[in-house]
Amino acid sequence: MSSIKEKQALQDKEYWRSLNELADTDRFRDFLEHEFPEGADEAPDSMSRRTFVKIMGASVAMATLIGCRKPMEKIVPYLSAPEERVLGKPEYYATTMQLGLNAYGLLVESHEGRPTKVEGNDLHRSNRGGTNTFMQGAILSLYDPDRSKFHLHNGVSSSWAEFVEAWRSLFTSYSENDGEGLAVLSASLISPTMNRLRKEFLKTFPKAKWVAYDPVHEENRVKGLEIAYGEKLLGENHFEKADIVLSLDSDFMRMELDDVSNAKGYAERRSVKTSHDTMNRLYVAEGVFSLTGTNADHRLKIHSSEIGAFTIAVAHELGKHGVEVPGVSGVSANAFEFDKKWISALAKDLVKHKGKSLVVAGARQPAEVHALVASINEALGNAGQTVSYHKADDLTLSNSEDLSSLVADMKSGKVETLALFGTNPLYDTPRKLDFKSALKKVKNSISFNDFADESASECNWHVPRAHFMESWGDARAIDGSLSIVQPLIRPLYSGHMDVEFAKLLASGEDVRGYDIVRESWTNILNVDMLGTEWDRTLHDGVLINSGSSGSSPRLNAGGIRSSLNSLIKVAAVSRDSMEVVFYPSYSTFDGRYANVGWLQELPDPVTKVVWDNPVVMSPETAKHFKVGIGDMVEIEFQGNKLPIPVYVMPGWIDNCLGLELGYARQAKMRVGGDVGFNTYLLRDSNVSFIGTGAKIRKIGGSYLIAQTQEHGAMEGRPILREATLEEYSHGPHFFPKETIPPHKNSLWEDHKYDTGYQWGMTIDLNSCIGCNACAVACMSENNIPLVGKEQVANGREMNWIRIDRYFVSDVEHPKVAHQPVPCMHCEMAPCEQVCPVAATVHDAEGLNVMTYNRCIGTRYCSNNCPYKVRRFNFFNYTKETPEIVKMAMNPEVTVRSRGVMEKCSYCNQRINRARQEAKQEGREIRDGDVITACQQGCPTNAISFGNINDPHSEISQMKSSDRNYSLLGELNTRPRTTYLAKLRNPNPEIEPPQDRMPKEEHNGTHGSNGHNGAGGHH
Amino acid sequence: MSAANEQTQVYQFPEDEPLILGNPTFKDVTNRVLGVLEAKAPRGWWLSLFAAASLAAVLFGMIGWLFWEGIGVWGVNVPVGWGWAIVNFVFWVGIGHAGTLISAILFLLRQKWRTSINRFAEAMTLFAVICALVFPGIHVGRVWAVYWMFPLPNQMAMWPNFRSPLLWDVFAVSTYFTCSLLFWYVGLVPDLATMRDRATSTIRKKIFGLLSLGWRGGNRQWKHYEVAYLLLAGISTPLVLSVHSVVSTDFATSVIPGWHTTIFPPYFVAGAIFSGFAMVMTLAIITRKVYGLEDYITDNHMEKMVKIMMLTGMMVGLAYGTEFFIAWYSGNPYEAFALHNRAFGPYAWAYWIMVSCNVILPQLFWIKKLRRNIPVLFVGSLLVNVGMWFERFVIVVTSLHRDYLPANWDYYKPTIFDIGTFVGSFGLFLTLFLLFIRFLPMIAISEVKNVLPAADPHNYEGHHGSEEKHASGDLGMEGAKS
Repeated sequence: MSSIKEKQALQDKEYWRSLNELADTDRFRDFLEHEFPEGADEAPDSMSRRTFVKIMGASVAMATLIGCRKPMEKIVPYLSAPEERVLGKPEYYATTMQLGLNAYGLLVESHEGRPTKVEGNDLHRSNRGGTNTFMQGAILSLYDPDRSKFHLHNGVSSSWAEFVEAWRSLFTSYSENDGEGLAVLSASLISPTMNRLRKEFLKTFPKAKWVAYDPVHEENRVKGLEIAYGEKLLGENHFEKADIVLSLDSDFMRMELDDVSNAKGYAERRSVKTSHDTMNRLYVAEGVFSLTGTNADHRLKIHSSEIGAFTIAVAHELGKHGVEVPGVSGVSANAFEFDKKWISALAKDLVKHKGKSLVVAGARQPAEVHALVASINEALGNAGQTVSYHKADDLTLSNSEDLSSLVADMKSGKVETLALFGTNPLYDTPRKLDFKSALKKVKNSISFNDFADESASECNWHVPRAHFMESWGDARAIDGSLSIVQPLIRPLYSGHMDVEFAKLLASGEDVRGYDIVRESWTNILNVDMLGTEWDRTLHDGVLINSGSSGSSPRLNAGGIRSSLNSLIKVAAVSRDSMEVVFYPSYSTFDGRYANVGWLQELPDPVTKVVWDNPVVMSPETAKHFKVGIGDMVEIEFQGNKLPIPVYVMPGWIDNCLGLELGYARQAKMRVGGDVGFNTYLLRDSNVSFIGTGAKIRKIGGSYLIAQTQEHGAMEGRPILREATLEEYSHGPHFFPKETIPPHKNSLWEDHKYDTGYQWGMTIDLNSCIGCNACAVACMSENNIPLVGKEQVANGREMNWIRIDRYFVSDVEHPKVAHQPVPCMHCEMAPCEQVCPVAATVHDAEGLNVMTYNRCIGTRYCSNNCPYKVRRFNFFNYTKETPEIVKMAMNPEVTVRSRGVMEKCSYCNQRINRARQEAKQEGREIRDGDVITACQQGCPTNAISFGNINDPHSEISQMKSSDRNYSLLGELNTRPRTTYLAKLRNPNPEIEPPQDRMPKEEHNGTHGSNGHNGAGGHH
Repeated sequence: MSAANEQTQVYQFPEDEPLILGNPTFKDVTNRVLGVLEAKAPRGWWLSLFAAASLAAVLFGMIGWLFWEGIGVWGVNVPVGWGWAIVNFVFWVGIGHAGTLISAILFLLRQKWRTSINRFAEAMTLFAVICALVFPGIHVGRVWAVYWMFPLPNQMAMWPNFRSPLLWDVFAVSTYFTCSLLFWYVGLVPDLATMRDRATSTIRKKIFGLLSLGWRGGNRQWKHYEVAYLLLAGISTPLVLSVHSVVSTDFATSVIPGWHTTIFPPYFVAGAIFSGFAMVMTLAIITRKVYGLEDYITDNHMEKMVKIMMLTGMMVGLAYGTEFFIAWYSGNPYEAFALHNRAFGPYAWAYWIMVSCNVILPQLFWIKKLRRNIPVLFVGSLLVNVGMWFERFVIVVTSLHRDYLPANWDYYKPTIFDIGTFVGSFGLFLTLFLLFIRFLPMIAISEVKNVLPAADPHNYEGHHGSEEKHASGDLGMEGAKS
C-alpha cells in the first residue's frame, strides 16, 4: 500500500489525481462501504483480497500511463451542468464589437464557455449577418498571449486594489480643486454608458479635461457635416437604393465608417439574377488604389489632395445639367485639368438618377469636401433617400485640436495627472507632437490598455484592460441603434472592463461592470419592462427598433461657400514635392490588430503583400527613382525621415506615396512587434491623412516583401469571366464558351452522384468585392496555422480559400477582378487519382475529403491540382502555438501536424452538425441548414452552398444561372464549386461598347522574379 | 555459351581490332583482375573512400535534419511540390539503366564487347538505383508512414491506390532492383569461386566459399549457369524498358501542362540509356586509368559507348522537338505556354543548359577522332549527365511553377539542404562503388576469358600462337599500385 503512495508522491500531483482516487484505500473506502457493504468490514491495514485486486488494477493503470508519451490532461466534469449546455454542442451569444465609430453586431460561437468563432449578427443593422476581417480576427485578439497580465506601478508588479487605493487618494485631492490638472485621453466613445460616465467624470471634476483621439479618425466627416448643416451629424449611406455611386477617395466597402453595411448595400444593388435585371454603376475618383477602387466601373486617377477641386468641378458640371449645387457658385476649379469627358458623363448619370444616386467621400478628405458632398447629395435629392443623417451630439468624437492643446498643456505643466484610457499615444500620435516629452512632464500618468504597450512603459501606472469579449458594455451604431456588449468569458488575465475603469475615474467607486451597464439601461429601457426587455436585448444583441430613420437638417449654403476656397489652394504635386497619403492597414487597422496573426498573414486585398507596409507608388514613379519592389528608399516629410521599402502598384497615381499605418509596434508582441515600418513618424501634427511636399531618395539595400500572388495577368485564359451588363442583357453568349468534355471514355465506371445530398458551391464574382472576410472566417473555423513572412515568401501560405486578384487592361488604368478560390471538390478529382495511399478520396455526397491520418505527404495531389488549392504542412506549424491560443481552436476540426496535406473541406464539420440535428429531429437536412464559414462571413452574400441534388435549393437556382461556369472545366474535373461570371456596368459615354474587350492583356504586377510578358496567349 | 563455331565474328570487332589488347592468357586475366583485390589497397583508394564516405555522411546528415524538421527545409512550395528530390530520383534511376542494358540487351544481341564493362556497369546500376531509392523514401512528409505505399495486410484492410503512378513506381523500381541484383550476382558466381580458390586467409575462403554457392566449374554447372544467365537476361530486358516508362507516368498521367504528354515513356527510356552510358563512361575512364586497365577497357569500348550515346542523345533531341511541335499542333494554349515558358521563361537557363549538353554536345562525336579522344569523352560524358539532370529539373520544376492559374505562379529555389542531399547522394554512390572495386572483381573474369583468342579451342592450332606470350610483361601489379 505505502509503496504505491510513494510512487505517487514522485509523480506530478495533478497527473495522478485520478489514480489516487483509484488506489488510495483511505479515501476509496467510503465509496466501497456504500457500494459493497459486505466487504467494508475487513480491517483496513491488512491486505485483503479486494484491496489487493484494487492495487493491482491501479498498478496496471499506472504502468500503462507511464508508457504514454503524451502528457495527460484532466477532464473535469460539471458538478452541475449549466442549463441547456450539451457537451460538444456550441452555443451562440450576441455581443457588440466597436471599431472607431462602428458598432458591429457579433454572434460568437462558444464551446463549453470558450469562444471560438465570430459570426455576424443578423439582427444588427451595421452588418446584417456579414462580417469583416477585423470582426473575424477578434477571437485571436481575445486569446492574445501578449495581452497585459499585470498591474504595474512604476514598473513593479501591483494589483487592482492598490491602484484603486492610489486613485482614491488622487480622487480626494482633485475633488477639492474641481479636477484642475486632471486629464483623460480616450478613443472616440460611442457607448451610452461610457458617455454617461464621461459626463459624470466631468461633473465631478468640472475643470478636468476629457480628450478623445483616434489616429484613424472621422473628424473631417463630422466637421464637414457641421459646416453643411450646422450640427453634429453622422451620415448613413443606403447603397442598396443607389443606382449611381460616386466615391471620392473613399474605401467605403472596407475601411470607412459603416463598411460592412455599405458593402452589403452595394452588393444588394449589384446583384443580378437574370439578364433583364439592372445594377448600380460605381464611379471612383482616387489616387491610391483602394479595395473600392478595384471594384469600380470607372476609376479616375486623381491626387487625394486634388479631390476637393475635383468635387467642385463635378458640382459645376452638375450645374450645367440643371442641378445647382448650393455653395459652389463663385468657386472655380478651372485651374485643374480633369478628364472633362469623364466628369460630363458622370454628371449626366448623376442627374439622370436624381434621388437614386449617392456621392461619398473618404474619411481622409478634408471637412470641406464632406461639406460639399453633402451639398451635392442635397442638390441631387439624395438626402433622405440614399443618405440619411443622424445626430451625433451624445458621442465623444476624436478631435485633433483638443489633442494638440492637451499636449501643449502637458508641456507647460498644466496637466498633473493623465489617464490614457485605452489609448497608446506614444505609438500612434504624430512624432511632430512629441507626446513622449510631454508625458514626462506629467506627474501621475496612468495607462489603461490591452497591452503593456509603448505608452504604458512610460507611465507610472499600468492597468490591464479587458477584451470586449470579457466585458460588459454597450454601443450606439451611427443610426442610433443600441446594442449590448456581453462578455463571453471571464477575463483571462487580470483585465478590467472599460466601464469599470471609467466608473472608478468618475466616482472613485469600484463597481461591477454588469451593474454599471444595467444602470444605464434602466434609463434606456422602459423600467416596467426592464426584466424581459433587457433579457431580450441581451439575447438579440441589439435593442430592436432603437435606430432612427434620420433627421432632416437644413443645409447652410453660405457656410459651404466660404469654406471651399481652401480646396483649390493646394500645392501642386510633383516628383520633387510628392504627395503622401496615410491610410489604415487592411491588416492591423491603426496598429491595434498588429498582434493578430491571422490578419498579419492575410494578404492586403489590393497589393497581396503580407506582414508588411511598404510605401506604395506607381510604376512610373518607381521607374523614375529607379527602384523596384523591395528596394529601400528614404522618405522625407516635414523634416522627419523614414527608411522604408518600396512596393510598386499599377493603377496608383504618379508621385503619390501610399503609407499604411499600424505597423512596427514596439511593444512586446510576439506577432506584431517589429513588423513593418512605423509611418506615424511622418504624420503632421494636425493628424491629417494627406500631405504634400514629401521627398524620396533611394538609399540602397533591399528588403524581402512577401506576397501571396506575384502574377496579376490572366495570360488570355478564360479564368475569370466577365461581360458588361449591356452585353449580358443580350444573352449569356458574351462569356467565353465553355468546353466541357463529354462524360465518356473513362477508364473506370464513374459514380453517378445522383442520390442523397450532393454538396456544391457557387461564388458570384459579381458580388465578391475581394475583402478577405471569407479567408479569415475560414482560418478561424478550420484552425489554419500561421506560417510567417518567410514561409509566405517561399510560397507556403496555408489559406484554404484565397482571393486571386487579376488585372485586366493596361498598367496605367488597370481594371481589377477578384476571384475567391477554395477547393473545387471536383467529381473527377485529379488529386484523388494520384495519391498512392488513397488519403484523399471522394465520399458519396460529392465531397473530396482528406484523411489526414492516412496522408504520408507525397505532395503529388498538390502538383496535380490544376487549381493549386491544396496546402502542405511543410513544418510542424502548430508546435509553438502558445497554450492560450489553443483555446481559439475549433474543437470540431483536427489540428494538422507536420507532413500532411490539407485543404478546404466544405466545412464538413458543419455539414455533420446539420446532419446530426436533422437526424435528431427525424427530418432531412433543409436548404440553408449548412452554411460554410466563408459563406457566413461574407458581407456581400457572394457565396452560396447547398444540395445540388435538390432542384429547389438556393444552390440549384444559382447553378442554373446563365452566368454559371466551371473554372478550367475543359479539364473534365467536373468541379462542384462553380462561379457566376462578373458583370461590369460601364457608362457607354466613357467606354464605348466596342472598346471594352481588352485587346491585349497586360501583366499588371509581378514579383521579384520578374515575368514573361511575351508568354502565353498565342 | 557455344561461341566456338563463330570464330571471327565473335572474337574480333569488324575492324579487326581485338576486344582485349595484349593478348593475355587466362591466367594473366585472372592475375590482372584479382591482383588488384588481393594487393593492399592503394593510398589513392583510401583517400577516395574517405572523401566519398564524407560526402555520404553529408547525405545522411541532411536526411537526419530533414526527418527532424520536415520537408520545409527544402525549397519546395505550392505550386512546386516536387523539387530536387524527385529530380534526383529520376536522374539516378536513369543512370541505373546502362548496367542492365549492357548486361541483358547487349548480351541477347551478342555484343561481345560488353564483357569488359558489364560487371561494373551492373554494379553502377545497383548503386544508382540505391541512390534513387533514397529519394522517394525521404521526400514524403511523414517518413514514418512511408511503408503504407506497399500493399501490406493491415488492420484497416486498406490497399494502396492502384491508380496512382507513384505506386506503379514502387513496383517498377523494386522489381528492377531485384532483377538487376540477381543478374549481377549470378554473373559474379564463377568469379567468386575463383576468388575463393585463390584466397589465402580463412575468412576470405569462408566468405567467398559461401557466396560462390559451391561453384566448381564443372560442365554441368556451366550449362545450368548459362541457361540461368540467358533467362535472367530475358527477364531483365523488358524491365530496362519498363522501369523508366513507369517512372515517366508519374508525369505523363497528370493533368499538368508539360507533364501530360504521351511521348514520355520512350523519351524517358532513351534519356535514361543516354545518361546511363555517360555515367559508365565516366567511371570507366577513371577506373581504367587508375588501375591501368586500358588493355581491357579499350578505346574501342569507348567508341562503342559513345555511339550509343549519340543515338540516344538524338532520340532525346527529337523528343524535345516533338514536344514543341505537339504543343503548337494540338492548339492547347496551356501546353503552348508551358513549352514557351520552358524555353523563354524564368528557367530558360536550365532549358538551354539541357539542350546544349544533350543535343548539341553529342554532335561532336560524328568526328571519329573525338570519339577516341579520352579527355574529350570524359568531359563530354560528365556534361551529358549535367544535361540529363537538368532535363529532369526542367520537366519537374518548370512545368509546375507556372501551370493553369497565373495567380498561383511562383518561383522555386533550392536550399542548402536540397543541394547537400544531391551532392551527398554522389557520396553514397561513390562509396558503394569504391567498396565494390576493392572487394569484388570489377571486370567479369570468366566472361572476358570467353572472348579471348585463347578461348577458341582452335586457337593454338594456327597463326595466333606467335602473339601468345606478348603482353605478360606489363600485366604486373605495378599498375594497381599507382
